[in-house]
Amino acid sequence: MIHVKNLVKRYGELVALDHLSLDVREGEIFGLLGPNGSGKSTAINCILSLLSFDKGEVEIFGKTMAPDAYDLKRKIGVVMQNVAVFEELTVYENIDYFCGLYIRNREERRHLVEEAIHFVELDDFRKFYPKKLSGGLLRRLNIACGIAHKPKLIFLDEPTVAVDPQSRNKILEGIERLNEQGVTIVYTSHYMEEVEQICSRIVIMDKGRVIASGTKEELKAMITLGEKITVEVFSINEEQLSQLRTLPGIVSVEHIDRQLYIKSGKGSNNLEIVLDFLKKRQIGFGRIYSELPTLNDVFLEITGKQLRD
Amino acid sequence: MPVFNLCLKIFRRNWLAVFIYVAIFVAISVTIAITSVHDQSSGNGFTQQKAKIAFISEEKTPLTEGFRQELAKHADFVSIPDSKEQLQDALFFRQVTYVLRIPKGFTKNILDGGTMQIEKTIVPESVENAYIDIDVQQYWNLARLYVRHDPGLTQEQLTERLRQNLDGDTPVRMNVHEHAKTKDSFSMYYFNFLSYALSAILIMGISTVMIVFNKQDLRRRIFCSPSSPLKVNLQIILADLLFAAVALVALVGFCFLLDAKSFTTPNMPYFLVNAVAFTACITSLSFLVGNLLNNLSAMSGVCNILTLGPSFISGVFVPQEFLNDTVLKIASFTPTYWYVQANTKIAKLTDFDWQNLRPVFTSTLILLTFTAAFAALSLVVGKRKRLME
Repeated sequence: MIHVKNLVKRYGELVALDHLSLDVREGEIFGLLGPNGSGKSTAINCILSLLSFDKGEVEIFGKTMAPDAYDLKRKIGVVMQNVAVFEELTVYENIDYFCGLYIRNREERRHLVEEAIHFVELDDFRKFYPKKLSGGLLRRLNIACGIAHKPKLIFLDEPTVAVDPQSRNKILEGIERLNEQGVTIVYTSHYMEEVEQICSRIVIMDKGRVIASGTKEELKAMITLGEKITVEVFSINEEQLSQLRTLPGIVSVEHIDRQLYIKSGKGSNNLEIVLDFLKKRQIGFGRIYSELPTLNDVFLEITGKQLRD
Repeated sequence: MPVFNLCLKIFRRNWLAVFIYVAIFVAISVTIAITSVHDQSSGNGFTQQKAKIAFISEEKTPLTEGFRQELAKHADFVSIPDSKEQLQDALFFRQVTYVLRIPKGFTKNILDGGTMQIEKTIVPESVENAYIDIDVQQYWNLARLYVRHDPGLTQEQLTERLRQNLDGDTPVRMNVHEHAKTKDSFSMYYFNFLSYALSAILIMGISTVMIVFNKQDLRRRIFCSPSSPLKVNLQIILADLLFAAVALVALVGFCFLLDAKSFTTPNMPYFLVNAVAFTACITSLSFLVGNLLNNLSAMSGVCNILTLGPSFISGVFVPQEFLNDTVLKIASFTPTYWYVQANTKIAKLTDFDWQNLRPVFTSTLILLTFTAAFAALSLVVGKRKRLME
């Protein structure tokens, strides 16, 4: 559905997109994950022809995307990172206005606007002005404005920034429902949990480049980390820590504030090995957590820095 | 036309800010109208003023009686006792402005060809006394003339001759051209003051719309849609022009309600053409302001500076003839100055030939030059702003 090849965008010396290539398939929720400044929004703006680019090609629905590709734009919905609504219009009027840019028929539009309001659960706020809405409601209005005309492809650029957990869940549920209705979604975020939760395929970006892509399982399979074990220990000395580091399958051990942070490689009984060691040395321990690696770990292992750096 | 309709909605949402200016404008206009009508009614036609005079004659002859009757045409006689003190008091308290005394033997002196003078005491700088002086000079010089050329005349004959001679009345007709009625008229003040109200309304309205549509996020969002930037911009311009036209028609409409008579003068079409040129200029300026400003909170302050400033220095509130040359020189860099100047010239027009109309058209042409300059600047600023984003 979207084919991007060798996209290059420069701002003077700064290379915002460095030969970015990606493919989005029909019917998927495609996640674009990366820290702030990694080039996600620039990529979206270039794909949508809102920004000119220095090199590369962008095809949507099999046709070259251009500023005047109005037939393509008609099928695309866009939810910007910053809320883009008119302060002078009510919730209903805002959705009606943006829908009106795509749909001329008034009756059809009325129906679509109602549907969008219902979809984002803003039924009780239709006569409210944006100033009176909370951050979460405003984000939902922003989404409604982008999806009211029932596009086949929707770009959602960090739609949950500065949103409370309840509103965030509603937004994510909504996105999944849209996808179930057959809409292809391109979702950018720096929240790995969200991307992990809803995206079927993910591209991780850094410094304008794709550093990894695949399903979340494929991405996690790329790294050596198998498990993260956290153990509350009451007393452990340096010698015991050194011995722990030499155990088979253990990648690293850190002791901070009576907590042992152990990273192990891929294997089935890493936790058992650690617990055996502690029991044999009669090291008292309390709570134990075991976690599988996250996309942050993937990012960390590939780039050497945290996703939220 | 969703963008066009949205612009109209934004205008409607900001009606209160605009309405305040309209209300102030109408209130002041009505005040001017009332004052202007009063002034005009007292200024039509010519009536000779009569001086209040104390007429004291130390002799009573047919000639002095004839003089008294002649004087009565241009003077109101006030009876004051013939005492120095009382006469001085009467002058001091303006009971009379002229004390005229015919000395004893005056008639004989005149008939003998003498040069004896009538005594007069007057209130200084009293304009109406001039008429009395003229009458005195005229009557007695004429009497001397008759006596010199026809020495055999009796006093009665001489008095009769003088009466017949001076009986001719010269009606005074104010030979002012009908068209010059607009000079210092309500319509001139109204159209001058209209520049302030119109500037405020247009800058508030048009710039607000421009600022809203110039928000980067909204513009990008709109350009994600299948609406071409050209169509979007044309719709915004169309809505702004409609707003400007409605504002002009409404303000001119008020003028019609307050002074419909002025619309029958041949000067009115020129006032209207000048107002249209000024509207075009301020519309263009509003586009520029809208492109320069980024947020609506600065709007009110900028609007006040751009409307009140030029109005004060260009003669909207205080006529240009009362402003000094330096102020006017500075004002000439504003369109308001040329608009007011054209209005003042239009108001004085009686003959509509090329020579008289040329300065009016020059001012209008300068207004149109301002329009083009503001529009060009607006395009450059707008493009530069978008490139910087």
